[in-house]
Amino acid sequence: MIEFKLTPAQKQMKDLTHWFAANEMRPISMLSDKLGKVPDEWLDKVNKMGITLAAGGGMGGSGSGSGSSGAKKDDADVDPEVKRQTNRTTVIAAEEVGWGDPAIALTLPGPGLGGPPVQGSGTPEQKQRFLSIFTKDKPRWGAYALTEPEAGSDVSNIRTTAQKVDGGYVINGQKIFITNGGRASWVVVFATVDRSAGRAGHRAFVVEQGTPGFRCSRLAHKMGMRASETAELVFEDCFVPDENLLGGEEYYAKRAEGKSGFQVAMATFDNTRPVVAAMATGIAQAAYDYTLDFVRKEYPKSGRLYQLACEKLADMEQTIQAGRLLTWEAAWKADIGQPNSKEAAMCKAYAGKNALEVCETCLELLGPAGIDGHIVEKLYRDVKVYDIFEGTNQVQHLIVARRLYDAFELRI
Amino acid sequence: MISFRPTEEEKQFADVARDFAAEIREAARACEEAGRPSDVLLKKAEELGFTVMELPESADGLELPLVSQAQILEALCFGDLGVVQGFPGPADADSLLRTAAAAGLDTLTADLGAQPSAFVDALQGESLPKETLRLDTANGGYRLSGNSRPMRGVKFAQRLFVAVADDTGQPAVVVLDAAADGATPWQVTEGDVRLGLLTAGVARVALEDVAVPDDAVVAIGDSASQWLTAARARVQVLQAARSVGAMQAAVDYATMYTAGRKAFGQEIAKFQGVSFTVADMAIETTAARNLVLYAAAQLDANDNAGVQSARLAAARASRSLRFVTSNGVQLLGGHGFVQDYPVEKWMRDGQAQAVLYGRESERLIEYGEALLGKGGASA
Repeated sequence: MIEFKLTPAQKQMKDLTHWFAANEMRPISMLSDKLGKVPDEWLDKVNKMGITLAAGGGMGGSGSGSGSSGAKKDDADVDPEVKRQTNRTTVIAAEEVGWGDPAIALTLPGPGLGGPPVQGSGTPEQKQRFLSIFTKDKPRWGAYALTEPEAGSDVSNIRTTAQKVDGGYVINGQKIFITNGGRASWVVVFATVDRSAGRAGHRAFVVEQGTPGFRCSRLAHKMGMRASETAELVFEDCFVPDENLLGGEEYYAKRAEGKSGFQVAMATFDNTRPVVAAMATGIAQAAYDYTLDFVRKEYPKSGRLYQLACEKLADMEQTIQAGRLLTWEAAWKADIGQPNSKEAAMCKAYAGKNALEVCETCLELLGPAGIDGHIVEKLYRDVKVYDIFEGTNQVQHLIVARRLYDAFELRI
Repeated sequence: MISFRPTEEEKQFADVARDFAAEIREAARACEEAGRPSDVLLKKAEELGFTVMELPESADGLELPLVSQAQILEALCFGDLGVVQGFPGPADADSLLRTAAAAGLDTLTADLGAQPSAFVDALQGESLPKETLRLDTANGGYRLSGNSRPMRGVKFAQRLFVAVADDTGQPAVVVLDAAADGATPWQVTEGDVRLGLLTAGVARVALEDVAVPDDAVVAIGDSASQWLTAARARVQVLQAARSVGAMQAAVDYATMYTAGRKAFGQEIAKFQGVSFTVADMAIETTAARNLVLYAAAQLDANDNAGVQSARLAAARASRSLRFVTSNGVQLLGGHGFVQDYPVEKWMRDGQAQAVLYGRESERLIEYGEALLGKGGASA
């Protein structure tokens, strides 16, 4: 039955996350942007509270991974729509942390975007080894390193190499735009074992901090998301043992067609793009809420300006709600175990682009005052990257179009 | 729970609608030339119950939830929006009848059945001076006069539901019936409609100082206002659902065409200017559909927020319909402009639909006024 009501558990998660966003994140939002980092004592405090970042946006307990899709075997006889609501719950929570502060959200301790590939493709031993480190004694992070200087949206073109040697692989290459890459305890790194094999040659490795040959060469300065660490990573003859190949050698050998690192990366995107879209929706909602309050307090109650505000507020509300529903649909499909590449790309393309437009409209309604000391201008700077990372808007369009033309057996 | 899964019953009903939509598509051009849907289609629509889905059971209707109707209407209008808009019955007045019981007007539905009717709403949005209706009190009764804007179903109507303000400014709903010989107390001005929805019976109503007995004023004041608000929200959702059907038709057709059409040695879908436009059309259609279903679910659950959500769904559907159907023509190039292909009709119908069901800006301003408090009346 088509319906849009949150379950009691989802409502509780939403309320709790919103409380945290309003009372813990917002008070340090502008300060963190100015400092270019989230204060260490705050990170330590929230880590002790057990607040971690799971699957790139949702909040959860230590070591929780929430990005994998499909029903577990023991759930096979239960309707996954009811039984498994992880993706829906995650996007609901992600929207709230995006509302609180997107840069702080991405800095919350936890496996972050590195969580889903470990959770989805790792061996039981790897899951235990890499996901159990997120404990309350000190904040720790995981990271996800895919993008390279010459391979952004075109992730199939990665140049980082992994050469097989006795007992492991030697990795050489460079990764850029890696969230929490400098502070991470481990990084999921995508590299190719054979460039001539194309995507089939891609592998995913977990590279641990302190591994010889692995270093963070630079932290980027950005227009927005300034409190979030964006690292450049260098791998120079970096030896990674076999046991850090995600899924292990057998994982690839067992599959006749060889499930590649590329596929691991793409499967991750199908789960994380709705999370990114949800955060973009949260940012838009934050800008809207702030502006609505401003209009109520500062605007005249009739006349041209009032009419303008009425129309623009309604238009924004509609835009935000449309993004939210597209995101829910993508998460719902993941929960019920259906392919959701198209829906994930749709919600990311829509929410990323339109959240920026909402922030622009909010700035217009705030007028010149909006440039001075209002959080909306920060949200505007923050939100732009949501139309870029995890695949640009253009890449999302390509994915949507490819899925549409699949019906005609036309590869574009 | 958040779910986008239709019920089995909805799936079955929508499947029947989709099969019928293929026949509708096939006959659409001929219907447009004739100015009305063919008798064959009308008969089948009635037999399958597609003309009484919104009507309450007390009026021999199916009384389906809005969520179900939205899916079925989308499937039907995938065939052709214009033809479906010409289906017989109480047109948009069915939503007035559906909400009559809640407005304390149970008896109103008893003898109505699926009589051809029209809902002439002179109170929604601003009207131009030449398109106003007036209800005056006179000698203990009422008199109705003026001209309406063009409305769907007027041409075929044997009964009018007129939403109009009385001379004290109170909203009222007046029911006017044709006489037994078919003569109506109103005149129908067909005008020169060429844009689209040519099978939908679009025309204006002219009323020249028509005497209205007291019992024909079925609601007045707050009760009329509440009734109209409830009915309009349903009309907005149901019309938006129809629009989504037309959008999906344009998306599918454009995808199919661009997958097969070649230029510069390859399928034009391989040019990103084309494929990205198709993707945008698909995203826009999905976004509009979700807003429709969301509003429908709220109204089905008697959630007060449903009225506001319906306004957003209606405004969005209007914008999306124009965007999607216009691009449908664009992607077919010159072939899109000629009547050998259906997309030009869908664009015309889409624009007519957007015009007939109110200005997009008006819906948004209504929403904003409710949000901010009209004229500062409330927060």
